[in-house]
Amino acid sequence: MTKRKIQMLWLGGFATITTLFLTSMVSVSAAPAKKAAAKKTDTMQIVRGAKAWKNNCSRCHNLRSPKELTDAEWDTSVAHMRVRANLAKADAEDIVAFLKASN
Amino acid sequence: MKNLLLGSSMMFIATLGATPSMAQIGEGLVSEGQISENLASQQLLARIISLEEELASLRTAVQQSTQNAAIAREKADIAVATVTKVETKIVKVEKKAKSATYSGSESDAKWHLAGYADVGFVGSNNASGNDSFVTGKFNPGFHFQYKDLLMFESELEFVTNSDGETTTELEYSQINLFLNDYATLVVGKFLSPIGQFQERLHPSWINKIQGAPAGFGHDGLQPTSDTGIQLRGSLPVGETRLAYTLMMGNGPRLTSESAVDTEGTGRDDNSNKSFGGRLGYFPTPNIEIGGSFLTAKVNSYMDPAAGLPFVPTGPTDSRYKLWGVDGAYTKGAIAARFEYLNSTRASLFTVTDDEPLGEIVPTLDMEAWYGQISYRLSNVGGSDFIKRLEPVIRYGQFRINGQDELAEENAQNRFNIGLNYWLSPTIVTKAGLEWRNSIVAGVDSETRYQFQVSYGF
Repeated sequence: MTKRKIQMLWLGGFATITTLFLTSMVSVSAAPAKKAAAKKTDTMQIVRGAKAWKNNCSRCHNLRSPKELTDAEWDTSVAHMRVRANLAKADAEDIVAFLKASN
Repeated sequence: MKNLLLGSSMMFIATLGATPSMAQIGEGLVSEGQISENLASQQLLARIISLEEELASLRTAVQQSTQNAAIAREKADIAVATVTKVETKIVKVEKKAKSATYSGSESDAKWHLAGYADVGFVGSNNASGNDSFVTGKFNPGFHFQYKDLLMFESELEFVTNSDGETTTELEYSQINLFLNDYATLVVGKFLSPIGQFQERLHPSWINKIQGAPAGFGHDGLQPTSDTGIQLRGSLPVGETRLAYTLMMGNGPRLTSESAVDTEGTGRDDNSNKSFGGRLGYFPTPNIEIGGSFLTAKVNSYMDPAAGLPFVPTGPTDSRYKLWGVDGAYTKGAIAARFEYLNSTRASLFTVTDDEPLGEIVPTLDMEAWYGQISYRLSNVGGSDFIKRLEPVIRYGQFRINGQDELAEENAQNRFNIGLNYWLSPTIVTKAGLEWRNSIVAGVDSETRYQFQVSYGF
């Protein structure tokens, strides 16, 4: 078996595993998506957001004041941190809700 | 009325009393019916008196209730007026908030300029080192987001080096595709997800000490970046969660000194992809435990200036393996961290300036670790100045076996103590001492005193 074929097998295997994983993730996320729709009227979201903000953001750096950024900037900043800090979407949304309520 | 009834009763009794002669005349003259009527009258009188007292009591109660009702009504009027005022204020604040937020808040596309910058001074007892002001770094970061679907983000690094030249590096430039609640696909040049320091702690406004731990900065064991794809996110595990990152990239390259360069490149020199990732687990919100790995093949370094046909006397590629563990405890004012990395590059044939005919370089083993504790004095004393202070201590080691020149230059124990003063949550001034003791015999040790001001924006 040539080196090129071995590499293609690696890539194919990685792509297959990734596809299977993503498919499972989509099905896993169906239930939380419904929760998210109902969550718009959940007044406890801000409380959850305050807790998630404290637990996750202070893990690496000082807690920034909610007044440092505008609501729109918090949207983008937290989206950046959702990737960097491996946050679940629900946690990121809760944090944004808290920051906007405290802004 | 009570008096009137009392008067009537007295007259009735007097009337009865005015006819004693009838009783005195003989027992038979007063009939039993008359006696019975008298008794009934007396009972009626007592009942009337009782009712009058009850009526008076009720009247008093009614008057008290009327007064209470008046007071309650007055209080209700005040409350209604207060609520009306608050509602008016809320409407004003909402209008003000809407006017203060730029139009991007409601648009599909939003952007944010972030980043950090630092300046400083470094002094040294080393004969070859000069005490110098350093320009530090300017790292602007750009975040562009489209709905909850996609984000492009990039960070540049501008540095003026010791020769006065300003260099520009693309730290990362990636597109994040939000697949679902728990997964994001990252494509482009990204910071290495190995360990904690490079991806999350290296910005100077986050890093508690002026520089990186030994082996964790540029030219160290810690991979800096890669170009490729990542799948990353977070999975719920009971009450806690698991953070995961899986990556595939162009991978590292061999340097002219037979070391491994882990800077992300725009082209894969050997078509062999690197695979790696990190898993992080949070048993409690204050504790994080992580494990990382990276594996790739590196090709032989062939000096492009030599221009000779070579006959390799050994393998022209070799496996590079890296693994590491990390942990962190962060609660309130205290932050304790630990990281360990270990890498091995197998032996292979290379052609360099020093060996124009080629040679087989031995296996290169490297390991680096550090432990760090910082404590913010926010709960100590009543002085606002003291509350902003943060002592920090860090000790680490970088060991290199298999490449003597690399070891002489970098293998060392590094001990830092520092005192930080936080002007705000994102602006810090740092003062510290750093002792660099070479592990290689015959290499001078060095003591540095360092100052830095950093601003994260």
